[in-house]
This record gives sequence, structure tokens and C-alpha cells, in this order.
Amino acid sequence: MWKQRADYLYVLPALVVMLIVIAYPIYYTIDLSFFKTPASLQLKDKIFVGFDNYTTILSSASFWKVTWQTVIWTFFSTLFAFLLGLGAALALHREFVGRGVLRALLLIPWVVSAVAASYVWKWLYHSDFGAIGALMVQLGVTDQPINFVDNTSSVLPSLIVVNVWKEFSFAMIMLMAGLQTVPEQLLRAAKVDGANAWQRFWHVTFPHLAGVSTVTALLLMVQNFNSFIIPFVMTGGGPAGASDIWITQIYQLAFGRQRWGAAAAYSVLLFIIMMTLGYFYVRALAGNDDKRQGA
Amino acid sequence: MTDTSAPTRIRPAVTKPFDGWRWSGRFFLVLLLIFTVMPMAWMLITSLKTGFAAMQYPPQWWPAEPTLENYTRLLDPRNAIGQDFLGYFWNSMWVSTATTVMAVIVAVPAAYAFSRFRFPGRTFLFFAVLLRNMFPAIVFLVPLFILMRLLGLVNTHGSLILTYLTFGLPLAIWLLKGFYDNIPIQLEQAARIDGATRFQAFFFIVMPLSTPGIIATAIYSFIGAWNEYIYAYTFLTKHDQMTLPVGIQRFFSENATDWPGLMAATFMMSVPVVVLFLVLQKYFVQALTEGAVKH
Repeated sequence: MWKQRADYLYVLPALVVMLIVIAYPIYYTIDLSFFKTPASLQLKDKIFVGFDNYTTILSSASFWKVTWQTVIWTFFSTLFAFLLGLGAALALHREFVGRGVLRALLLIPWVVSAVAASYVWKWLYHSDFGAIGALMVQLGVTDQPINFVDNTSSVLPSLIVVNVWKEFSFAMIMLMAGLQTVPEQLLRAAKVDGANAWQRFWHVTFPHLAGVSTVTALLLMVQNFNSFIIPFVMTGGGPAGASDIWITQIYQLAFGRQRWGAAAAYSVLLFIIMMTLGYFYVRALAGNDDKRQGA
Repeated sequence: MTDTSAPTRIRPAVTKPFDGWRWSGRFFLVLLLIFTVMPMAWMLITSLKTGFAAMQYPPQWWPAEPTLENYTRLLDPRNAIGQDFLGYFWNSMWVSTATTVMAVIVAVPAAYAFSRFRFPGRTFLFFAVLLRNMFPAIVFLVPLFILMRLLGLVNTHGSLILTYLTFGLPLAIWLLKGFYDNIPIQLEQAARIDGATRFQAFFFIVMPLSTPGIIATAIYSFIGAWNEYIYAYTFLTKHDQMTLPVGIQRFFSENATDWPGLMAATFMMSVPVVVLFLVLQKYFVQALTEGAVKH
């Protein structure tokens, strides 16, 4: 198919842009991670330090705390976004009046800017005038408004709620698309054979959704691990670092404290984690492809 | 609950048995809808309050004296806040539109090539696209900051447009390839037998058929650029250049936040993308699931 030189012209612009914006930054990050670079980012004054940046990070007191918080943040955000998305997809699968409108409304959080969402939730969580706290008092759940985000023990769960709000609809559309591949006849046959709704879901629908579910869960994990705006805008990682995750930590190291080498070393570790997830993602996608061709 | 599995007597077809699953599905959807809509509703309600009315406990669930003052303040170029807000708005419009146009121009031929041609480096490039989607903006922040400084683009909108292409382009190629894969190659072959060149076949046959895909890709790029925060926050320091997500922060300060003003601003910032999305969501959802679920 690659007969004419001119064919290269289709891809060349994309190739050039991608080289500049992918290959170059990756190379630069790896390079920076082995140097001590002055705060001014004057690259000619950088000093080679070998693996020092890595050992400094790994032996710092905050590293494991932040890593643990990142794991909690990623795990629970992914779990709840997935479950809400799955529930919504199943409930919306059957045709009913107003289904299209409902789907559109449920998708709004996903389209709204994360900065706007962060400010709205900050206002909802406000310790004196916040609607959620006031509502809880009026309903008799608590006698005093809760300090959702100014409290080290409640800040992470409170931010996870915002994050789940923001992205469950992504899982919802992915799984709705997945549900369309479940063969109707198989469900009907199972019903005739006396399978109840739960059995039909577990033995017919769920196995058919497995491929899409894996892909969706992996994408959610990547998104959550990489999320920045919600913790940064809402709490800035605080109070007392209780909502710091890897990404906010990297930002803080780089643009807050000008420790470019340490930030770069963190980023390289992050590359490695993402490449691992990417490997599973590609495998999951390839698995989906095989199944489709086999079907 | 009604026992639907009991031996049924013959009964009029109109009486449907109570379907517990369906009703719990509906109930779940209602709860989910409240969770989804509540923050947006509170944003709108607060934006209709005076500063005094917003700072009351318990909150006024509906403003006693609704006012559009916050909006007129923001939209009036005669005062300083209005001038700034409208400036941010047009900056966002310009940056997002330029990004979208460029992403589409570069991605359309590239996606077509990915879908139709086999060429050396194809797999590698495609993997690079995937990889770029897995890395958070932040790990590219330092290298791109250095690059922009080298190019003299710091504090210009050019730095944002170029950077937004780094995430807009891979995604655009990814989404569009899904569309081209679904357009039968025979259509082009027929045109070529009739004497069209490869480019003519692409331009006059394939392009028009992929219009929905192009629209979806354009919306996706636009929303992505409109909502982007980290790069805009880092690359722009001058007030008159800022885009909405960054500029909006001027309403926020630890001690005296103008909450109704902030909510009015976040509302107006959300309107363009939400409207765009609601009008064209069919294409948008289709493109996303085509690209992501089916590889």
C-alpha cells in the first residue's frame, strides 16, 4: 500500500508534532532526573549526580505517606466510579421515555471543567456556609456542620466523592457501549431456561462485559493516578499534606520548591508505572479484538 | 414484593407483574441524578444571590431576592471585573478554536493513513499515541516549559495552542481512526477505478462520510482546550492573556471569596461546553466508544 512517496505527507505533520511533544519531553525528563539543576532552570549550570535524586525521594519521610494516599485515592475513585457507571449503564440499557435526556444530564459532570467543579464543591463543602453540612444538620445526621476538607481524616474521602462525581459517567458510556454487544437471544434463552435477573447478569451479561470492563477500569486508574486539578484547586494537597498525591507532589517539587531533579525522578518512576498499566491496557484491547474476530 | 415466579393464572395482558429489578434501577437513577445535578444547581442558585445572602446560615435554599447582578457585573466591560472576565472569555475562545482547527487539520490525514496504509513505524507511532494518553500533563510540564522558553513562547497563546496539540492530537488521531476503519475501502476503490487520484478519493469520498467523526473530534479538542488548567496556569503570568480556568481564580482568596461572583463565573464558563456537548452528544459518545472500546 505504501507505493508513493507522497503518502508520507499524510502522516508527516503528525509525526513531527509527536516527536517534539512526546519523544523530546520524555528524553528531557530522564536527563533531568540525573542532574542537580539550579532553581533558575539554567541548564548549562546543572551538575551530574547519578541516582541521588532517586535515593533522596525514596528515603524521604513523605514518600510512603504520599504513595499510600495515592493508592487509596486511585483505588476508591476507580472502584466507585466504575460501580456507579455500571449501575447507570444497566439501568439505562432498556429503552424508556426520557432515557436520552437522562443520559445527557448524567454526562454533564464529565464535560464541565474540573476547575469549575472544584470551586463548586469547595463551596458545597464550606465549613460555615456549605450546603452539604447544613443539609446534614437539618436532616439530623449530625448536630454540627462537618469540616469536610479542612480536616486531615475527612479530606481524602471528600475529594474522592468529587472525583467520582466528575468521572463516573465516563465508565457509564463505555459500559453502555459494551452492553450493546451482549447478544439479546442469549439473555432471552436464559430467561426461558428459568434464570433470574441476577443469574442472567452474572452468567451472560457480565462475561460479555469483561473485556470492556477491564479497559474501562484501567483507563479510570490511569486517569485517577494522574489527576491533578481537584486536589490542587480544592486543597492544594493539604491540610498537612493529607490530600497530597504523587502528581501534586511532583508539581510542588518542581514549581513550588524548584527541585527540578527530584521532580524529574518522580516523573520517571511515574513513567514506569504508566508503562506497566499501558502494557495491560494493550493486552486487554488485543484480547477484545481476538474475541470479536472469533465471534 | 410480588412473587413473579408463582404459577400464573391467565390474566389480562395489561397488568404487568411488579418488576423489582426495574424499579430498583429507576430508584438508583433518581438518586444518581440528584447527586449529578445538585452541585450544578447549587452553583446556579448561589450565582443568583447577593454576597450577603450567600453568607447565611442556614443557607437560603432558594434566594429570597434573586438577582442577576453577578452576571451583569461580569458581562459589563465598563468595570474592571467585567473587562477582565470578558478578556479571559475571548482568550479561551481563541486558544480553544485555534487548537481545534489545527488538531483537525493535522489529525484527519494522519488518522486516514493509520487506518488505510501499512508503513514502517506504524505500530510504534500508534503505541506512542496511546502512551501519550497515559502520561499526565504534569510530567511534560517542565520539559515543555524549557522548550517554550527556548522558542520564546512563554507568556504567549502560542505556547498553549502548541501544548494543547500534544494531548489533542493523539486523541484526535485515535478517535478518527475508528471512524475511517468503519468506512468501506471499496468506496475509494470504486472512485479510483473511475479515475480519481488517491487524494481525490480521500477528499471527496471519505472526508464527507467521516463528517460525524470530524465533528466529534473537534468537540473533544475544543472541550479539552477550554477546560485545560495546568499549562495555562504555568505558562501565562500576565493577566490580560489568561484563559478562563486560570483567570477565574481572581474571585477566590482565602479570606474574602466572592462566592456568588465565583459561581456566576463558573456557570458562564460551563455554558459553552455544556451546550456544545448537549447539541452534538450523539457524535461525541459514538466517537469515544468507537475508539476506545473497539481499538
